Amino acid sequence: MSTQRSSGQPPTGLVHIFWLASRDYAHEWVMSGCFVLALAAVLAPMMVLFGLKFGIVGSMIGQLVEEPRNREIRSIGSGHYDAAWFESVAKRPSVGFIIPRTRNIAATIQLRSESAPRIISVELIPTAKGEPLLPAGKAVPTNAGQIVLSESATRKLNIKVGDVIDGSLVRRFQGKHERVHMDLTLIGTASHAAFSRDGGFVSLGLITAIEDFHDGHAVPAFGWSGDTAPTARIFPSFRLFARSIDDVATLRDDLITQGLDVRTRAVDIETVQAIDRNFTAVFWIIAIIGFIGFSFSLGASLWANVERKRRELSVLRLVGFRTGDIVWFPVLQALFTASLGWILASAIYIGVEQTINHMLMPQLQAGQVVCRLLAEHFLITAGLTLFAAISAAALGGYRSARIEPSEGLRDL
Amino acid sequence: MKKPNQPAQGEESSKALDKKRDEDLAKDRVLIYHLREVIKTREAEGTAFRLVVPSLQIALGEKIALIGQSGCGKSTLLDLLAMVLQPTTVGAFRFRPEPGAPPLDVAADWRRGQLNHLGDLRRQRMGYVMQTGGLLPYLTVRDNISLSRRLLGMPDDGTVEQLAKSLEIERHLSKRPSLLSVGERQRVAIARALAHKPSIVIADEPTAPLDPITARKIMTLFINLVEKFHITVIVASHDWNHVEKLGLRGLSHRTRQHGDLTETVVTG
Repeated sequence: MSTQRSSGQPPTGLVHIFWLASRDYAHEWVMSGCFVLALAAVLAPMMVLFGLKFGIVGSMIGQLVEEPRNREIRSIGSGHYDAAWFESVAKRPSVGFIIPRTRNIAATIQLRSESAPRIISVELIPTAKGEPLLPAGKAVPTNAGQIVLSESATRKLNIKVGDVIDGSLVRRFQGKHERVHMDLTLIGTASHAAFSRDGGFVSLGLITAIEDFHDGHAVPAFGWSGDTAPTARIFPSFRLFARSIDDVATLRDDLITQGLDVRTRAVDIETVQAIDRNFTAVFWIIAIIGFIGFSFSLGASLWANVERKRRELSVLRLVGFRTGDIVWFPVLQALFTASLGWILASAIYIGVEQTINHMLMPQLQAGQVVCRLLAEHFLITAGLTLFAAISAAALGGYRSARIEPSEGLRDL
Repeated sequence: MKKPNQPAQGEESSKALDKKRDEDLAKDRVLIYHLREVIKTREAEGTAFRLVVPSLQIALGEKIALIGQSGCGKSTLLDLLAMVLQPTTVGAFRFRPEPGAPPLDVAADWRRGQLNHLGDLRRQRMGYVMQTGGLLPYLTVRDNISLSRRLLGMPDDGTVEQLAKSLEIERHLSKRPSLLSVGERQRVAIARALAHKPSIVIADEPTAPLDPITARKIMTLFINLVEKFHITVIVASHDWNHVEKLGLRGLSHRTRQHGDLTETVVTG
């Protein structure tokens, strides 16, 4: 009979300890609540701190990656680039987008709409499929009758997508003043961030035709007369974007070795990356100090708790709970505190996150946040909290393992 | 130790015969405790205390009272009998867990450090009544009483309710101990000690915090219950008159002072 009883004991002992520990925890809800609050008081600010670090640095890096201008490599001065050069550069894996640029002077056009009183002059930018400055998935001019205007130009012309506007060019040719007109359909607008001045994205075909017209060459496609154009076209410049921000530096170095003078935003990128590194280091210092402090405070409170409950724990020893079972008493209560404290800290964090993001909304671009944590961050926090609680509870457990059953018989 | 007078030859032989009959009786009755030359020495700040038990035999179903002032070693003896205190030297220490079973060598368990085995024995075979109840404040009276039964996986067969009825605490079963008077808490403690039908109940001054009338009433209830269940009981008490009336056997003890050493010798 006695062997039967003892063989089934160890697991049920743990079940009983769980039952007793939770009953005690609920009975002493004021004390338990204090422990939970104390834990949340340490954990919630750490979560907010990390949320800020992750949100601010995250959106800075996101901006870096998402902002196509950071991937742009500009040429300084003008050069001579032929079709073969463009082909060879386009083949490089580090290149995301490349298109020839015509001379700036020739790349302007006068636009007039029926809904606006005045004619405006806009810069033209050559574009093609894969244009980094225009949102992906939106229409890109592919033939000479299409244009994407910058926000400021669209506003001045008071037009909307689908409207047809009149574009005109003027030149002095063989002593005569010549003006030609063409119909352009607005197929989209470019954001202020993409192009801040009055400008229009057009196909390479249109922009080279315009350059030819200014140069006095004939453009049969538009019915413009003039000299015969030279067969091999040389471009003075280019629009070049690296595939990713990490490719910028290598691509820049490649071009410099080719003898090109280029300018990039590599310095800005390095600044953000340095901020990220420093921010992360500071965060970890604070987090580690906070974590150690939190472990000690939890350990101290659990130790004190075991001291306070000496008599009750020794009674448990006296009625036959084994040392191995008793150790679980403070450990389980630490786990309750950790779980509840984590839930409370998460709730506080979410409240603070919403408030901060709401407060700073006017200063932010759409989709940007200052404070943010991902689901896995919450899980990592929970894991660390439980780990800290268990290591701290080991102190209490050690203390409770030393309680002698004879103490239960005495009156301390 | 000189004999006061020399008895006659006939008396001598009849006495020897009586002694022999007593020994036979002792063999016949089933012992729950058998202690021989058990010594526990405690030292603290220059003063030492020694409890010497040359021989102690307690039969199953016996009711034992330990009477004496505090500091005379009552608690030490109870700790030894409750198997929560390791003796310093021991000739023999045997404990029989139930009537049909062979006696267990407690001394050997202590020597080999098999504390969990002693813990199992305590859980299954012993009940305790503490001076101040020792109830768990976070459990209801019912859960406190059924704690040892629950721990042993014993079924809920109405024993708890029966005990509560016998001890007149059935209306308090779903309350927490803090709502009860001291006397009621002691009744709960008694119910808890008996609920799992142990072989022995050890009670250390169970009625000390009570007024004399309540104390006697509760002690009477307690002794009646252990008699009803045929449970051996060892009670430390200071009310000799009352426990003697209830039919308890007192253990004799002598305390001597040798300089810094206080020695108590208990036999029975």
